Amino acid sequence: MTKTADVVVIGAGIIGAATGYYLAKRGRKVIVLERDFPCSGSTGRCIGGIRAQFTHDLTIRVMLESVRMFAELDQELGRDVEWYQGGYLFLAFDEARRQTFLKAIEVQRAYGLKVSFVSPDDCCRIAPGLNTEGLIGGAYCPTDGQANPFKVTYGYLEGLRRLGGEVSVRSEVTAANLRRDRVVSLTTRNGDEIFCAQVVNAAGCWADEIGAMVGVHVPVTADRHEALVTEAVEQCVDPMLVDYRPDGCYFVQNYGSGHFIGCYTPTPLVPGRSTEASDEFVTEMPRRMVRLIPRLAGVRVLRQWAGSYEMSPDGNPICGRTPVDNFYVAAGMSGHGFMFGPAIGKHMAELVDCGSSTLDLSEFRLERDFGKAEAMK
Amino acid sequence: MVKKKKSHRTRTTEVNADCVVVCRCEEVTEAEVREAIRAGYHSLEELKRVLRTGMGHCQGRGCLRTIARLVENETGIPASSQNYPSSRPPLKPLPLGLLGSYRDDEDR
Repeated sequence: MTKTADVVVIGAGIIGAATGYYLAKRGRKVIVLERDFPCSGSTGRCIGGIRAQFTHDLTIRVMLESVRMFAELDQELGRDVEWYQGGYLFLAFDEARRQTFLKAIEVQRAYGLKVSFVSPDDCCRIAPGLNTEGLIGGAYCPTDGQANPFKVTYGYLEGLRRLGGEVSVRSEVTAANLRRDRVVSLTTRNGDEIFCAQVVNAAGCWADEIGAMVGVHVPVTADRHEALVTEAVEQCVDPMLVDYRPDGCYFVQNYGSGHFIGCYTPTPLVPGRSTEASDEFVTEMPRRMVRLIPRLAGVRVLRQWAGSYEMSPDGNPICGRTPVDNFYVAAGMSGHGFMFGPAIGKHMAELVDCGSSTLDLSEFRLERDFGKAEAMK
Repeated sequence: MVKKKKSHRTRTTEVNADCVVVCRCEEVTEAEVREAIRAGYHSLEELKRVLRTGMGHCQGRGCLRTIARLVENETGIPASSQNYPSSRPPLKPLPLGLLGSYRDDEDR
């Protein structure tokens, strides 16, 4: 079938869904093409944390805006997205980590973020039952929080449909058809050809394959991360806990439902898009969780899974124009796509719609020096 | 050759769909499942994300086949053509403390 759109967004993860929604809200006719189903990539496998505690200036500004947007998303999308401001508590078990946090706090405070370094006793008050052995304090921001990735993404896509847009599932893009260095149409595996004025590549860890169709290299690679979820228990821990030790982990209790959900970054990293779950994780993650909060020992694990961090070389997003005039990219969110989603989606929509965005995202441009890495990955 | 069983009909008697719990772990009713199917969610994977069907203790072993038949009943998409979400370890819920104290060498 032949279709036409003002903008085609490739990928129905959070970035594609939010970008598509805000474009539709600006009056554009949007078609979102998704190779499988919405949230089938990284977004649907993430644990839903939302924080402004970063070290990169632009990332902090993006997240300050995203947090404000999450707080109003229920009204915006007309549904409960399970946003809860339970805070984030980053734990420091050595002096070097404390110094990293103190430096980051200085930058974050300059942008107005309410964040402070708190004592082990305070950590214990914030996260009752926390094992403070070896702990020298924590970076705590009470305005950070969590939301439900499925509800947010499906909420954006349903909103997009209400605004006249279309979401086409099981519609993998197989070719981009160019004429005079511009994309004219896209072909999908199910035989559709969609003619459009502009294209946004929000294909997450498939972004490089999509880019290759128009000759644009998008340096995004996949790292496998694993996660698990426990049964629902009475609400007992508010913030996301982040333990950066080599054998640390991070987890949060979903507010309302009561499930604990968490993961850790494996060493060495596991490159590739595999979503196989490992035996090592399902024993190691519980050990790390119970070490941090011993009273969780009796809580039962329901399920483990794996998903991809879609990594850019420096851990910061790749957003904006590309050498192909009407082909844009928003990918490489490096494990933070869900939390970046609302703000990145809004500003990508502005950029695509009128050529500039109210928050200058040019530091995240495709053609940049990828030398400086984010310290609070 | 083994003769194949005739496929079950989705329902044999009229019951109130509001009262029929399809996913017992997440307490999702037949009416809720049908509503989501009518909203355009036709795969088990999408219905899982929208309704949480299959995200509970049994990981869908109790409900996914029923839901596939409800999709067939509503849309005509054959239940046998559905992709089933993966069942993941642990197959039955196990305490964090037990899993965390497991060591490989205890096996030997």
